[in-house]
Amino acid sequence: MNSAAAQPRSLASFTEGETVRLAFTVSDGDMEAFAALSGDRNPLHCDEAFARSKGFPGRVVYGALLVAKISQVIGMELPGRDAVWTGLDIQFVAPLSIGEPAELEATVTRVSPAVRALELTLRIRAGEKVIARGKASAVVHRDA
Amino acid sequence: MSTQVTAAAMDSEPIYQKLNKIFREVFDDDGLTLKSSTNAADIPDWDSVNHIRLIVSIESAFKVRFAVNEIEELKDVGDLVKLLQIKT
Repeated sequence: MNSAAAQPRSLASFTEGETVRLAFTVSDGDMEAFAALSGDRNPLHCDEAFARSKGFPGRVVYGALLVAKISQVIGMELPGRDAVWTGLDIQFVAPLSIGEPAELEATVTRVSPAVRALELTLRIRAGEKVIARGKASAVVHRDA
Repeated sequence: MSTQVTAAAMDSEPIYQKLNKIFREVFDDDGLTLKSSTNAADIPDWDSVNHIRLIVSIESAFKVRFAVNEIEELKDVGDLVKLLQIKT
């Protein structure tokens, strides 16, 4: 995925089936920054021993931090610069651990020219394990 | 002539039922009942974002794709039903 400035694209350039992938690994620093930002210091995310006592392999990455990765893809690339994010429906189906490599896959499943809207199907995986799945919708502003 | 009107009405009823379900979901209002004259002025939450959700939901449910001018020319739900009768 392009890490430069958000890219402008015309609505006509999006095609159903187009896919963007973002590889990422959540670090201790990301967790601490998100805890400070959100105020969510639930021990499941902050306390290794507590997380293990609940049956997890270690501290669990914040679900909303995964949503932040979705925000990155929508705001920067699909649809990118001229997008307004209008909806998200997401299920967190397995925990992601800190330091565990993951990949977000966003695929265009519908383009509605009448209202300049895109629907995306989302998958976050860590290897073969599905971490989260969902759908997002966005509107593409009129071409400049 | 009366036979044609009756046939058209019968065709429109399943469309109204399907639309009513979509409208209730989009506007989060279980008491909403559509009439042919219903338009955006009758539904307080019919703003630009919900309009987009509504059109995308209708396209998806009826497996159709609207053109920009088709949407712009709609005055009320009755027009929408007529358009769906043509496109489905």
